Amino acid sequence: MKRAILFPLLISVVCALALPINLGKALSGLKKVGETIRPISEEEEYFIGRAVAANILSKYPLWKKEAMTAYVNLAGNTMVLHSKRPEVYSGYHFAILDTDEINALSAPSGIIFLTRGLVQQTENEDELAAVIAHEICHIVAKDPLKAIKSDRMKSLGAFTAAEMTSGSSQVVKLFNNTVMDISGTLLEKGYSRKQEKEADLAAIRLMRTSGYNPEALLSMLQKLQSRETKKSKAFSAHPPAKDRCEYVRREVGKTGCSTSPARVDRYRIARQLSGI
Amino acid sequence: MKKRHFFVLFLGLALVLVAKTWLVKVVKTNVLSQPDFLSEKLSSLKKGDRVTIMEEKGDWCLVQSVSGVKGYVHQSALLESKSSLTGIIPGQKGASDNEVALAAKGFNEENEKKIKGNREFNFADLEWVMNRTFSPTDLKKFVNEGKLK
Repeated sequence: MKRAILFPLLISVVCALALPINLGKALSGLKKVGETIRPISEEEEYFIGRAVAANILSKYPLWKKEAMTAYVNLAGNTMVLHSKRPEVYSGYHFAILDTDEINALSAPSGIIFLTRGLVQQTENEDELAAVIAHEICHIVAKDPLKAIKSDRMKSLGAFTAAEMTSGSSQVVKLFNNTVMDISGTLLEKGYSRKQEKEADLAAIRLMRTSGYNPEALLSMLQKLQSRETKKSKAFSAHPPAKDRCEYVRREVGKTGCSTSPARVDRYRIARQLSGI
Repeated sequence: MKKRHFFVLFLGLALVLVAKTWLVKVVKTNVLSQPDFLSEKLSSLKKGDRVTIMEEKGDWCLVQSVSGVKGYVHQSALLESKSSLTGIIPGQKGASDNEVALAAKGFNEENEKKIKGNREFNFADLEWVMNRTFSPTDLKKFVNEGKLK
């Protein structure tokens, strides 16, 4: 008798779980017929990111200093582990551009560039980490992809699978334009103030959870603020450093953090080995 | 007796429906002994490998690989399998069916090949960037010595 009850009960439970969702799926399937904008997959983001990074490297030479590059990769990947997006298609990569300009850029899928000028402005590992944390947070938020013009995304949805996989000239043109949308934002237009503020606030949280002193973000911004008054191009793509200092100061508060002697030593050694 | 067999079969089917089968969406990820990137590596998985999620702990999933290895993988490395029957549980994490369906299409290596050689792209230096690697031991040492987390 008990079995007789249990059996229909099980059927009811499974059907109750399955039906509403499957109905929802069916309806969303109907919606997809007229849908032209679709998400960019992890793999696509990677290939877009590679092309954006290659485009940046055609404009700025790479600073091929092994010691400092290894150092920023270790500091960056330490924080990546605590981020909301630790796994990207082919891992996070950090490198330094050989220019006096003071800037940092993040290409989709986790290819992050700092400029030599920016690295030279830092005074300790925590300040270096502050800049890297800000860029990681742009990747986590997929901000570079948001720079792609919406009509490109509509065009992307209009291509057939065969056209996409064969790499037709129209698709390559679309790919090229997509890459240039992002490069233009990274190198000239900049993100919105809202995106920058969110990246700053997320960077503070990321630094805290990774064991870095978030006050370092404030000290870096103060340096940038002093350069801005000298009409330099420091972080020209960002909101004014003065505005950023205000909300970062409020968020950081008093941390009372101190750095470890090992961090002081390895930062000094990495600089020395890189001729800074 | 037949009823009992049918009951067991039905229960098995229900479990299959509830079990979460996912695909690895990144080039490579590790199966770890703890929900911590710096914990012991038990095995590694490559893009397209299937796992069954046995339990979720925050952003981490306790998974079982096809070869039977059980351990933790971060959910950001996983994508819901299109062919699984697991979309029925509300609140599941991961990408939409749309993303799964299009994962192998779209912008890909073929597009990159077509723009290589163009002066606007410096892929040679990009390879230098992508080839800078470090071992998990290096990272663990960096974290511990720097009193980081």
